[in-house]
Amino acid sequence: MTNPRLALLFVAPALLFLIAVLGWPLVQAVILSFQNVGVIGTEGEWIGFDNYAAVLGGSNFWRALGRSLLWVVANAIVQTAVALGVALILHQKFPGVRVARTWIILTWIVPTVVVVIIWRWLLSTSGGMVNPLLIQAGIIQRPIGFFATRESAMTTLVLINSWRWFPFVALMMLAGLTRIPSDLYEAARIDGATAWKRFTRITWPLLQPTLMMLGVVGTLLSFNVFDVIWLLTAGGPSQATQTLPVLIYETAFKGYRLSEAATVSVLTSLLLMGFALLATRAMTASEEAR
Amino acid sequence: MKRTLPQSLALYAGLAVIVLLIGLPFWWVMSGSIKLPREIISRVPTMVPQSFTLQHFEKLLQSTDFPAYLVNSLLVALFSTVFTIALALPTAYAFFRMKFPGRAALYRLILVAYAFPTVVVLIPIYGLFARFGLIDTRASLVIVNIAFALPFSIWMMRSFLASVPRDIEEAAIVDGAPPRVILLRIMAPLIAPGIASVAIFTFIASWTEYLFASVLIVSDARRTIPVGFAGIIGQYQIDWGLLLAGATLATIPVVILFAFVGRWFVTGLTEGAVK
Amino acid sequence: MAGLSLQGVKKRFGHTEVITGVDLSIADGEFVVFVGPSGCGKSTLLRMIAGLETVSDGRIEIGGRDVTNADPAKRGIAMVFQTYALYPHMSVAANMGFPLEMAGLPQPEIDAKVAEAAKILHLEPFLKRKPRELSGGQRQRVAIGRAIVRKPDVFLFDEPLSNLDAELRVQMRIEIARLHQQLKSTMIYVTHDQVEAMTLASRIVVLKAGRIEQVGAPLDLYENPDNMFVAGFIGSPRMNFVPVTVVSQGDGFAVVAAAEVGLREVSVAVRGEPPVVGTRGVLGVRPEHFASGGDACFEGTVSVVERLGGLTYVHASLSDKSALTVESRDPRGFDLGTTRRFAFDPRRAFLFDGTGQRL
Repeated sequence: MTNPRLALLFVAPALLFLIAVLGWPLVQAVILSFQNVGVIGTEGEWIGFDNYAAVLGGSNFWRALGRSLLWVVANAIVQTAVALGVALILHQKFPGVRVARTWIILTWIVPTVVVVIIWRWLLSTSGGMVNPLLIQAGIIQRPIGFFATRESAMTTLVLINSWRWFPFVALMMLAGLTRIPSDLYEAARIDGATAWKRFTRITWPLLQPTLMMLGVVGTLLSFNVFDVIWLLTAGGPSQATQTLPVLIYETAFKGYRLSEAATVSVLTSLLLMGFALLATRAMTASEEAR
Repeated sequence: MKRTLPQSLALYAGLAVIVLLIGLPFWWVMSGSIKLPREIISRVPTMVPQSFTLQHFEKLLQSTDFPAYLVNSLLVALFSTVFTIALALPTAYAFFRMKFPGRAALYRLILVAYAFPTVVVLIPIYGLFARFGLIDTRASLVIVNIAFALPFSIWMMRSFLASVPRDIEEAAIVDGAPPRVILLRIMAPLIAPGIASVAIFTFIASWTEYLFASVLIVSDARRTIPVGFAGIIGQYQIDWGLLLAGATLATIPVVILFAFVGRWFVTGLTEGAVK
Repeated sequence: MAGLSLQGVKKRFGHTEVITGVDLSIADGEFVVFVGPSGCGKSTLLRMIAGLETVSDGRIEIGGRDVTNADPAKRGIAMVFQTYALYPHMSVAANMGFPLEMAGLPQPEIDAKVAEAAKILHLEPFLKRKPRELSGGQRQRVAIGRAIVRKPDVFLFDEPLSNLDAELRVQMRIEIARLHQQLKSTMIYVTHDQVEAMTLASRIVVLKAGRIEQVGAPLDLYENPDNMFVAGFIGSPRMNFVPVTVVSQGDGFAVVAAAEVGLREVSVAVRGEPPVVGTRGVLGVRPEHFASGGDACFEGTVSVVERLGGLTYVHASLSDKSALTVESRDPRGFDLGTTRRFAFDPRRAFLFDGTGQRL
């Protein structure tokens, strides 16, 4: 149907809404980053690039950025590995496969706070299930505090976040798998390819576009994870799990340095936009090369 | 295709691991919520409850604001869902079924909105809402939830709209149906699974949203489950029974919702993703 | 009911012109069929009449009213789509009643009109069913029913039978012809199938590359084609075309020959100015106009023989590499690989000039 006026009429409400609730605040964030506003609601004055100089010159931003990168990469590795296995299993035919495909997403649909409670309890030293199980299995001697040390806190957070997200990733991969025509596998069987060969020569290469897409979307999604980290460790111990979103939140709402937080926000956005741009360009390039 | 015995064993072993990985934590939490306190913190955990009590649920519902959180969350999630669909349906229809100048650019703009870190706009949104007196209202959460769900919802409706033959739309035009009628009477019923997907996505996103709810809501009585519940964690000497009961109650509504439309949601999620 | 006229109608998509100026007037009650190969613009033209495509240039009138820019619903037309385009979530009755509902008719009136249309189309037992519970032919009838309930001035059919199997297609063709006799409305019908065109049309419009090649009654086009394209398109199997040279001429006739394919001098009627002696032309002979005996003949080698029982089609190759299709009532005597003469009736042959125009 060609009717530009009507089409714009259909688009306008959503568009205006997004401009008001996302676009305008985004502009405000940029403005704020050039001012020296402290507590929310107070007035500030223009100070040019001073905030940027301070943020980029200090160490907090860079450390948080480093932790964010570690967070993204670690989550990507764990989730991809687990999700691929799960997707391959769910791609098989077995009784109850439809139920499995639907309910696997359970961990993703419950509130984060539930995930937090589940794991805080299971990992707790009093009454938690995990410590006794590990002791029984002979892996550890006495109960350990999973959030107590810097390394174990980060590792535990990555595992919990991955537990929440791997079913989602697995379903996306499953969608990619179902797009691979089954006669390719039949042809390969007739040609005498083993299961392993069929995976490496058909499944893996044909899954690449899906994996690329997941790489981009997944990076953006896990970069933005805030509530799991905040509710479990609040960035601790001693900032060991303070990723960029946590740093922004703390600076703004615990440290009352709004403009500084806005500055970190703007830098983070630029970073993510740059990544998204490069990634989509690389994706289109590899699609064209195909 | 026939599976060999080792392949079958591997498949079912893998399935068992998945079921345990996802099901066991939920089982522990739900069964824990009806155990007596001393069994909950016992040194030797029990798989099957040895005791039975509803005291945690009683305490949760009587001496905390949990019932209010539950109602708030339901209200926020329902309104967010209804408005998101109302906005996403015509927009997606225009994007994927109509031609107009600037369509591609606008669509890309909306996708960019989806990729943005939400925490970035948290600070300015607080300022904006403060100016309009929206702080500490449930409406503020509805507005924010719509804004964050909208881009993804539009994107998710794409493949559903694409699957409706153009002839049907043209037949309706020739039959004299105005665009509003075509959208509501012809397209909407035909993409019902897509609408269900969007609904459940928005509902879940709103149901689980923490960050904005923690900043925009001040008074305890207006809190949603994620924030109110997180408050309970801190408020009391850690009372696991209470928290497990809360976790159970916070899970049930989405599970019920999912039981009805879950199948469509998973299809919608995966269909939209790959095409 | 109303006639229809197209004046200088053009359609451009970007820089490509897909309809390059069509003038046509259709009288009230006519059954006009647009035929042509795929991509000739016949569907686009129909959709412009329906108002589903904008008109780049020119003017469309229905019943004397300018509807060039009118809304499809306000043109007094109804359309039947190739894919039926039934609303899958509505019952048959709701599908047929939908245009009336949109027109704001009260429900009892809608029910009455739907019942009437259902009776004409033998759809009464199916009114409560959903489209997916019907067979292809039944769905097609529902689509037609949805069109006739509105009592439109003009019916538009866009390849309505091409999704049906061969047997059902013949049946529905007859049903549509009967419907036209019964309703006596103006109908415009698009098809790529020249058999449908010949059997249904009161007038055929042959289109090629966005232009009208010829307009006329079915037999007119068959007996008096204006050019090689129409001659080849109307009639089945296709007309044979053999290059020839003009050896002499007179008033209303030309004598042509093609020695390399065994054609000795033969006299063919021409319509206008006879061609200049020595010019090259193309002789067109329909497969059904071959008959034993006579001097006019080609010499060819039998390559394939299709025996259909009643009829036999012989495919032969001539020495200049052109192919010949010959219809014969006698299946005997065509041995593969043998070279023989194929005689034809020169009074039924057509002569075309080098550009394909009929002489």
